[in-house]
Amino acid sequence: MRTAPPFDLPEEQRRALARARRLAWLTIAYLTTVVVAMYLVLGSSQAMKTAWIEDLLSFIPPIAFLVSARVARRRPDHRFPFGYQRATTIAYLCGALALLVMGAVLLGDAALKLAEREHPSIGSVELAGRAVWLGWLMIPTLAWSGIPVVLLGHAKLRLAEVLHDKVLHADAKMNKADWLTAAAAVAGVVGIAFGLWWADAVAAGAISFEIGRDGVRHLRAAVGDLMDRTPTTTDYSREDPLPARLEAFLLEQPWIAAAAVRVREEGHMLFADAVVVPRDERDLVERIDRTASAALRIDWRLHDLVLMPVRRLPGEAIPGREPPARVVPPQPAAAH
Amino acid sequence: VHRACVRGLLWLGLATAACGLPRDPEGTLDRLHATGLLRAGAVPNPPWVIVRGGAVSGPEAAIVEAFAARHGAAVTWVVGAEERLVERLEERELDLVVGGFTQRNPSLSRASASRPLYESSPGKRHVVLVAPGENGFLLALDRAVLAARDELGRLPGAATP
Repeated sequence: MRTAPPFDLPEEQRRALARARRLAWLTIAYLTTVVVAMYLVLGSSQAMKTAWIEDLLSFIPPIAFLVSARVARRRPDHRFPFGYQRATTIAYLCGALALLVMGAVLLGDAALKLAEREHPSIGSVELAGRAVWLGWLMIPTLAWSGIPVVLLGHAKLRLAEVLHDKVLHADAKMNKADWLTAAAAVAGVVGIAFGLWWADAVAAGAISFEIGRDGVRHLRAAVGDLMDRTPTTTDYSREDPLPARLEAFLLEQPWIAAAAVRVREEGHMLFADAVVVPRDERDLVERIDRTASAALRIDWRLHDLVLMPVRRLPGEAIPGREPPARVVPPQPAAAH
Repeated sequence: VHRACVRGLLWLGLATAACGLPRDPEGTLDRLHATGLLRAGAVPNPPWVIVRGGAVSGPEAAIVEAFAARHGAAVTWVVGAEERLVERLEERELDLVVGGFTQRNPSLSRASASRPLYESSPGKRHVVLVAPGENGFLLALDRAVLAARDELGRLPGAATP
């Protein structure tokens, strides 16, 4: 077993991580102001309530990121010999479940309000001795909850790519979509102002549907990660090119005749198993050692490589048996 | 900055008030102006709401009368029990109900409430119940409540909140 110098990130990633941590703290501070401001003008608008709960749920990703940045970097020990990387994915799974459940509950709430034809009441507050309709205060508050967060999302998205951090990526995506929530809630409030009682429940329904959809998306991603799905890029849109690169690297070695690679992802680290058929069995231990060390330098994320010499690749040994499931699935780039 | 914000919001409020926003989904305020009648419910609850003969009096009745007068309307009183009157409020057969209700009244889940009129004892802020969701009407009532509050504060046993 070959392990890269444990958990010491390259310079670029280390800087990105420090920035991402600062951004996570900034997000928490900003969200606190949003949640307090929203609470003060909540009224009995369902759209406002839904947007407020979404803001509360937005605390989960930055907190999960900060916690996992601490826990996941712990070195493997006797109790957890594979390290603590999975902590990140578990945090992510919990966050996804929370989103899904809240989305479903809030969608039910909105549908019920619509079915019961409930007319939302929004009263007034006293400002400088005058009664001002609370709805007019909701709009700037919603703007505060929806505009700065988009910039935060943009900044995080770039860092997520550098760090290959899926929690951060999901957080950034949610932040970037937050202006939609705010816009929907503003539409609900303006609808109420024009005497359209149903606008509120419809806006609330749209927001809660989005919350639930985020939940489903993240849930699928997290479950896939926990099931050791083939590594993907941070946005889950494509397969990670690294396993193919590793296989190609092994095949380039003059002493290797055939190779098969299996890679799983834990947090942002990749753990690989490779079986190779040696062409030349002299100094085998030396060769394995040298090749494995060189392979780990392909990419900072490749953390651990088990290189195993075999007579034949698995599945080839028994005549008539199905050929092995391709260990490295075909890459889109290789398609004709 | 803080004062500029408050001023901006006041201007926004005034500008939208000029366009008649917020509007009522069921048009309560428009109907009040059109018919010149305010349909008010009164639950006898002395000293806040006193019913003697056909006449309704007391500080909470007075504020309803003042509100109607601001809008050039007369008040038609319906006297009854809280349960029944809140029900009629929900069915929009009444525009508002008074009866010494405080902000903690459970009927508030079925209707909306005005700004507090006064505090009868610590934590007991009295409000007027309004048909749910009639936000334009509610805002107009709140303006009348704020305007009348100085007078209400001078009533025996009542302190402005």
